[in-house]
Amino acid sequence: MTESDSFLHLARPLGPVAVGSAPTTAPLNVVIHPQALFSILDHSLRRNADQERVIGTLLGIRSEDGTEVEIRTTFAVGHTETTDQVEVDMEYQKQMLALHLKANPKEVLVGWYATSSELNTFSALIQNFYSGQGDGTFPHPAVHLTVSTEPGKDVETRAYISAPVGVTAERAADSAAFIPVPYEIRYGETEKSGLESIAAARDAESRAATIFTDIEALERAVEEVLGMIDRVSRYVESVIDEEAPASTALGQFLLNALALAPKVEPADIERDFNNHIQDILVVSYLANTIRTQMELSNRLATAQLTLGGESGNAESGQRGGQRGGKGGRGGQQRTQDRSGEEARA
Amino acid sequence: MAEKEIPLTAVKVDALVVMKIIKHSSQAFPTTATGSIVGMDVDGDLEITNSFPFPVVEMPAESHFDNTAPNPAAAAPRAKANVAYQTEMIRMLREVNVDANNVGWYTSANMGNFFNMNVIENQFFYQKEMNERTVAVVHDVSRSAQGSVSLRAFRLSSKFMAAFKENKFTSEELQKSNLRHQDIFVELPVEIHNSHLINSFIHQLQCPNQSSPTDLPPSLAALEKGPFVKENVLAPNYDNLSLSIDPFLEKNCDLLLDSIETHHTETNNFQYYQRSLAREQSKITAWQAKRKAENASRATLKQPLLPEDEWQRLFKLPQEPSRLETMLNTRQVEQYSRQVDSFVSATTSKMFAVKGNLLPGETAK
Repeated sequence: MTESDSFLHLARPLGPVAVGSAPTTAPLNVVIHPQALFSILDHSLRRNADQERVIGTLLGIRSEDGTEVEIRTTFAVGHTETTDQVEVDMEYQKQMLALHLKANPKEVLVGWYATSSELNTFSALIQNFYSGQGDGTFPHPAVHLTVSTEPGKDVETRAYISAPVGVTAERAADSAAFIPVPYEIRYGETEKSGLESIAAARDAESRAATIFTDIEALERAVEEVLGMIDRVSRYVESVIDEEAPASTALGQFLLNALALAPKVEPADIERDFNNHIQDILVVSYLANTIRTQMELSNRLATAQLTLGGESGNAESGQRGGQRGGKGGRGGQQRTQDRSGEEARA
Repeated sequence: MAEKEIPLTAVKVDALVVMKIIKHSSQAFPTTATGSIVGMDVDGDLEITNSFPFPVVEMPAESHFDNTAPNPAAAAPRAKANVAYQTEMIRMLREVNVDANNVGWYTSANMGNFFNMNVIENQFFYQKEMNERTVAVVHDVSRSAQGSVSLRAFRLSSKFMAAFKENKFTSEELQKSNLRHQDIFVELPVEIHNSHLINSFIHQLQCPNQSSPTDLPPSLAALEKGPFVKENVLAPNYDNLSLSIDPFLEKNCDLLLDSIETHHTETNNFQYYQRSLAREQSKITAWQAKRKAENASRATLKQPLLPEDEWQRLFKLPQEPSRLETMLNTRQVEQYSRQVDSFVSATTSKMFAVKGNLLPGETAK
């Protein structure tokens, strides 16, 4: 989900801060990993009943030139907010940071999050703390992420960096100009399958889903594909019947997709197919044979036999069987190699 | 503990934990990643609501079995430093209202190779020292990369716990207890559970707000760049449909070969033991016969008899090797073959589908 907002970044004169102590306000790109967002959402669920919003620390990786920040992990930090003052548990934040760095030495502090879209004086205060020197992210700008968790509305995520603002140094300490920055949610190949399972639970009443076996997952995927083919063919039919507006671009796209079907000789397919199916079946057969053999060997070794001689005999016979199995395996690997070569050729 | 009577029946994993475990294990891949999980036990359902990784520390191998490759991360859950780390972390988490009960640990695996001593010792440690009601969650990185996430939860059976505590893995003991390789682990069904917020967030992630019907794209380039041709759509994951057979089979064959190798070594050990046992026993009988003959001659000469049970001091019977490794190996092979079976079932259908598609005439007949 990339936010469709566009951003225009303007350089502007900085506030009256001592030279060299102001963090840069160069634009940067924020990449958010889903698990970071998930833990923010989880934290927001676990807030105290009287709390409007909760805050926490963002950890992640900053690219070398500082133009991209990846938010990977977050942890919650306790804080109390009243009308005229805010208290953040700094001791806790420090300890937790140390604990996290122990397990994830590569990740660094990159900023903080809050679970409401509102930016107020307290936000500025906290922002200045996180971007400050010493414990903060200085000289890099601290990223502030707001994730709105109001019931009944969309979960809205925004990323900001800040620039100092204010005419005097005292004013500058508790104010900040938040500059929105673009962000995207990105996830890797391995996370995709996890997200898929999580997504499978989204329509269920109980919000729960069991984990699919291979064949179930395949079934689902095939059903999805069939559904899509259905949709496309319905569209094409309605275009032919002149019910839907035609589009050259779509037609071209579909034609390109159809052209992807490989043209191969039936004999080749037949051969490849047979080779591969044999490979698969042989491996499956062997795997199960090995399993049975081992189980048998274990049973014989611990069965209620008289003693020594018999059990010894049983085992040597067993071992012979295994050798046979191994020879079979070697042969199998050869066929496999050969079929691999064929596939390449 | 009154609720102790209700056995654990299922494991409910929060979406957050799923993502955290996946992230940690794929980052650490191919080495093993381990961490701790926290949650709550609700009437036999173990709800796992948060997790955190363990720091990798160098530690001396304290295992009383020989580890072929001492892997600091794999042994991490029972390292002393990590127990302290875990208590500290849980204390911190309690302050921000996270369910602060340790309910076990997680580990990453590669192609289902997780039935090993490390896992057993870790889980044994957890079930014995920490809390009886703990689980080991195993995330298989390479299986997950193939399409469907592989997350499983295991516990050690009470039978195995009792045997492992006293290290009773000789043939005789196994005969008595009738402990088999199927009885080592108890697998618990895993369910993924979403919070309301995450649910709504995922719904939102899926369909970018489509209030107005979209215009038809003016050109092919516009279509390809458009907002709907995004790579990162969640639900249909077509990795399942890919037809890469050989790498998986090859890897499995390798692993099976290794297992056979292990099994072979173990049977050899056992045979060696039996041979030396037989040798010792024949020596003893020889000695006993000799002593008897001597005593008989002494009796005729009216001399005091020599004791006949001295052989117990003179000869030492060899120690029987533990059968645990063999049992584990068998369990591991079973896991591999199950894995192959499930892969084969999916792949054959895919292959027939491809064949039917490329040779339309064949299927019509």
